[in-house]
Amino acid sequence: MDDVYCVVTFHVTQHALIFEKAMKEAQYPIKLMPVPRQVSSSCGTAAKIPCDKKEEILNLCKEKALPIEGFYRIEHKKKKYWF
Amino acid sequence: MNDKRKMFIYGGIIGLIGALLLKFGNPGNMGICVACFYRDIAGALGLHRAEIVQYIRPEIIGFILGAFIISIANGDFKSRGGSSPLIRFFLGFFLVIGALVFLGCPLRMILRLANGDLNALIGLLGYLVGIFIGIQFLKRGYTLGRNIEQPKFSGYIMPIVAIVLLIFLIVKPDFIFFSEEGPGSMRAPILLSLILGMIVGGILQKSRICTAGSFRDIMLIKDYHFFWGILGIFVVNLIANLILNFDTFNLGFENQPVAHPVHIWNFMGMVLTGICSVLLGGCPVRQTILASEGDADAGITVLGITIGAAFAHNFGLASSPKGVTNNGKVAVIIGIIVVLVIAYSVVKEANLKNKQKKEGVRNA
Repeated sequence: MDDVYCVVTFHVTQHALIFEKAMKEAQYPIKLMPVPRQVSSSCGTAAKIPCDKKEEILNLCKEKALPIEGFYRIEHKKKKYWF
Repeated sequence: MNDKRKMFIYGGIIGLIGALLLKFGNPGNMGICVACFYRDIAGALGLHRAEIVQYIRPEIIGFILGAFIISIANGDFKSRGGSSPLIRFFLGFFLVIGALVFLGCPLRMILRLANGDLNALIGLLGYLVGIFIGIQFLKRGYTLGRNIEQPKFSGYIMPIVAIVLLIFLIVKPDFIFFSEEGPGSMRAPILLSLILGMIVGGILQKSRICTAGSFRDIMLIKDYHFFWGILGIFVVNLIANLILNFDTFNLGFENQPVAHPVHIWNFMGMVLTGICSVLLGGCPVRQTILASEGDADAGITVLGITIGAAFAHNFGLASSPKGVTNNGKVAVIIGIIVVLVIAYSVVKEANLKNKQKKEGVRNA
């Protein structure tokens, strides 16, 4: 797994699917995944995106009125927490 | 450690605990069963009078307290709620009716399978079909709405309820019922159940393992993260059963403990449970964990499960090793219709609102 990646979260599962479709059409390399543990203790669906494309992707969302909830940068720390 | 291995180990610990609780006295293939345990608690509180299934299961108290403590420790505890509570109550209500016609929640289904009960395989097929049906609504915009922050005390209610249940269990007041025979009388020692339950609660809070979530993610987004946890539960429970509970291991359909071999209703019961689990965003054990970390909507769902379990016995809906009741068959059909109507109306309304919003933007 990459050490640093970014995710977009959604209020509704369907929004994640709409986002995925729009991003694939625009040829951005995104992948749907469970919301990372660092972001939330919920188990909804998020989209993993390359951090360097943040601005472009967020602009595209605004342009196409794609509903998103939040944007997060995830860094995997070397130290492993068990509890 | 990579994520898959971590999830497998988390699941594995739960599988091991399931086998230990079976070894130390819980009913057959019922090391852990969230639906059955809420049913037993409903019975102990006198909400139903099926004398063989009444006991305050310390495992449930453990799940709640374990998840509560871990969520406080790692900052996940947040008092929230207000997302379609009454719909959630009835989804929980029908979820448990499906589960009690099959005889087990999805977690017990995995534990049953891991001790050779092939009826659980039929249940699993039904569960997968139910999840697939639920996903069709998710794809079309199903949502129960956002939750909002609630007064902090709201989040403390479930842990307080757990403490009160623990006091009832220890003090044994006259108004609490305890089975003297049948599954309700088969119990692992209280302290062991409580401690192992707390470990399970903590692990489930940390890992977010959910039977419905794992299969939903495989079907919806082809992601196997949570499935590794489910696989861990199954594989380790199977191995631990072969070592610890070999005398109870019985591969086949017939003569399985607290189970029946009526395939169609094992299937249909779990279809209902599967649909409800996806519409709720989690299976019964996941709802219990969310309720423990401040989610009032999951708390309402747990109440729906408990009341549904009481009705399942009061109305003669729950199955038994003798088979499925006619009332149970009718209830499953009604349940499937009701939850599909709920899901359909939610989707229809959500799409109507979206359309109006888009038209509003266009006209602006």
